[in-house]
Amino acid sequence: MTGAAGAAPPREGDFLDSGRELQRRLVEEYYRGLAEAGGPQRPVAYMLVGGNLTEIVRSFGYEVVFPEIVALNCAIKHRSLENILHAEAMGYGLDVCGYVKNDLGLQDLGGSTPFGRIPRPDLLVCSFSGCYVYVKWWEALAESYGAPMFTYDVPYLREEVPYKEDIQYMVAQLWEFVHQLEKRTGRAFDMEELKRVLRETRRAEEGWARYLRAGRLRPSPIEAYFEAIFYMFPINVLRGTAQAADFYDVVNAEVERRVREGNLPLPEEKVRVLVEGVPPYTNYRTFWDFFRKWGAVSVVATYPKVGGLFDRGFLHDPARPFESIAEYSLGAYVNQSWTLRRKLIQEYLREYSVDAVVIHGIKSCRSFTAGQGDLRDWLIHDQGVPTLYIESDHQDPRYFAPAQIKNRMDAFFESLDQRRTTKAPATEVAA
Amino acid sequence: MAAPLLTIGERTEEEPAAPSLELSNDLAEFRSAAGVAEMVRLAGEVLGDPTFPVARAWKRAGGRSVATFPVYTPQELIHALGMLPVTVQGGGENLEITHADALLGSFLCSISKSTLEMALTGRLDAFEGFVFPYICDVSRNLEGIFARSLPGKMTHMLHLPQNFGSAATLPFLIAEYRRLLAKLERVAGRAYDPEHLRASLATFNRQRRLVGELADLRRERPADLSLVEMYLLTRLGSTLPRELHIELLERALAELTARHRKPRDALRVVVVGPFCEQPTLDLLSLLEESGCAVVGEEFQMLSRWYGDVPSEGDPLENLARAYLEAPVDIGVRATPTTKEAGILARVERTGAQGVLFLTAKFCEPALEDVVLYRRALEKRNIPYLQMEFEERSTTYEQARLQLETFVESQLFD
Repeated sequence: MTGAAGAAPPREGDFLDSGRELQRRLVEEYYRGLAEAGGPQRPVAYMLVGGNLTEIVRSFGYEVVFPEIVALNCAIKHRSLENILHAEAMGYGLDVCGYVKNDLGLQDLGGSTPFGRIPRPDLLVCSFSGCYVYVKWWEALAESYGAPMFTYDVPYLREEVPYKEDIQYMVAQLWEFVHQLEKRTGRAFDMEELKRVLRETRRAEEGWARYLRAGRLRPSPIEAYFEAIFYMFPINVLRGTAQAADFYDVVNAEVERRVREGNLPLPEEKVRVLVEGVPPYTNYRTFWDFFRKWGAVSVVATYPKVGGLFDRGFLHDPARPFESIAEYSLGAYVNQSWTLRRKLIQEYLREYSVDAVVIHGIKSCRSFTAGQGDLRDWLIHDQGVPTLYIESDHQDPRYFAPAQIKNRMDAFFESLDQRRTTKAPATEVAA
Repeated sequence: MAAPLLTIGERTEEEPAAPSLELSNDLAEFRSAAGVAEMVRLAGEVLGDPTFPVARAWKRAGGRSVATFPVYTPQELIHALGMLPVTVQGGGENLEITHADALLGSFLCSISKSTLEMALTGRLDAFEGFVFPYICDVSRNLEGIFARSLPGKMTHMLHLPQNFGSAATLPFLIAEYRRLLAKLERVAGRAYDPEHLRASLATFNRQRRLVGELADLRRERPADLSLVEMYLLTRLGSTLPRELHIELLERALAELTARHRKPRDALRVVVVGPFCEQPTLDLLSLLEESGCAVVGEEFQMLSRWYGDVPSEGDPLENLARAYLEAPVDIGVRATPTTKEAGILARVERTGAQGVLFLTAKFCEPALEDVVLYRRALEKRNIPYLQMEFEERSTTYEQARLQLETFVESQLFD
């Protein structure tokens, strides 16, 4: 055991300032607004994060609920288990996605959360991008609520340059969707308004990408996993609003201040980590502690890219509104083939000077997780990067075994620490 | 994640496993099969061998074959390029998993692990390419793992659309098929010819009609064709050259038409769930031994996804249209109506007295549908039983108890 492990880790919030505070306020305002939504005056659309159509739906006056985000907020507030148990009593098996069970259990219990009531849907928009469960989940909601459902079919991205036929297919679906919304709401579609909204979208995306790229600095002024996940809320939920775009201006100003003042995620950045996978929301801070105690800072991560790979140029473009919405939908991280995911990670390793990779596999998420063992094998054998694979669940606290995970992470980081102090050559570490 | 990592290209000492069944290059064993019993015995041996003896024989004879993961791939395209399409439906109950666990993760279905295990251990060497349709996230992701594990082979992830209400879906699917065709052409070493596809459509139409006749016979006279017999005779068509399968089915149907066994009391059930991973033959036998007459099921959906595909006009468009317009309502396809309407229609169509949900462990599409199906059945007081299975099951005592209790509670109620 080296001295690093014995030192008391700095508190989680030590380096967080105005951005985190503003994010909390935005979350509260969002849920307060939702509590008053519903009915013909303020209809509600349910949407998924990956490849979503927020800008179009909001332009028709809908309030938007993201059940995945409601679910993860429940999980982080330690309220997921009761919803999951209720869903299991409804018949959903142990192996069903935790998001699905958390949400369907919550809905069946009346939709009451610690942060407000979640309104019933008037419209279900299924952006089938990156996760097969999306279809099943939305079918269940449609049958429960009798709400109409539109499926926006997003082909899987298999080549770096999207096929033109895929773009044509998605653009055609977007027009059909717009015509359906016109009929449903009695409002005419306003392309100029959409372009205005997309300008705000792009401003937010550029700000978010700038924030994420700060992880390239050594030492990193950002925590690109645990901190960035807080800041996913505006880009995923409030995209298209001035609030979201302004938020990243605040955050980036804070990051610049951190660099100037040396207020960094950790006093000493000993290990620069790439994190792959969804976090265990039910034990978020505990999991973060397991990194901090070893001076491990995540400088880049894949999970914050589930809403879109904005840092790699998949940006909305007001000059090509529907085409760029289609391209953005294709580019969500888990809508990319493993070949593309490996290539992206390879680029991240180099660009962010990564020392080690931690993969967090999710028991109930096949989309993200199926193949992460192969990724570990590729990282260790083909890339020569020390890699740790651990497994729990994003929503279900029953699958988070803190002692076991901590032991494995301690062993992993200790071996890295020894290597660093003895200057041993970088070879395989498969904890 | 305790299993040892296998470096790609490296194989352990005992592998690949010695092929257990060697067929003649022209597959004469099937042509000389004396009757249904002999065909069923051969089918059991061939389908139980995870080294794909038919594909190996085909390769020795100079042919090329392409494997497809369940549930739906337009295998007509592979056939039209002169290659043998084979559905790889897992490794069955005899395959030991030693490497795939480490590459895939713990909480995944057995079929994904056994399929990867076969690839890592050389058992799929007879195939020149692999197609993974987007039926679930695991199948989709397997393509990327195969691409890395078998760098010399063709791999393709086929995006099957989920928007069945858009005018743009048909042109998209045609384009998707053209992309698959482009890869298949490279494997086959020849160009796509619409005339060849027309001929393949006719062959597959004939095969599906015969499979349909077999299913009709089974539904009308379950005593004359056991579930295992029907299953093996049908599944044989996922691995044999289709023309040979047609010959066998014609002979089998002629023999079965003359069969008259004494009917027995049984509970007519529809089996829902095993559309991808397949239960063991022992479990299928157990269903009948326990008093179930299976009058509807999802075991071999590819062989009856749609009816006749017309050959007039553009055959590629006809094939894409057939997929989109087929009224197939199973877990790996967005439901055309509602799950409630779907399950009730199936019960009514088959005259079933109950539903048996046979869901593969970790199969999320099946597990999620079950809740909606159950709700619909409960509203109509239609009895059901839900059981999970894995392709490598070896003990059935609990299953027997569940099944017998279910049947008795209905037959003697």
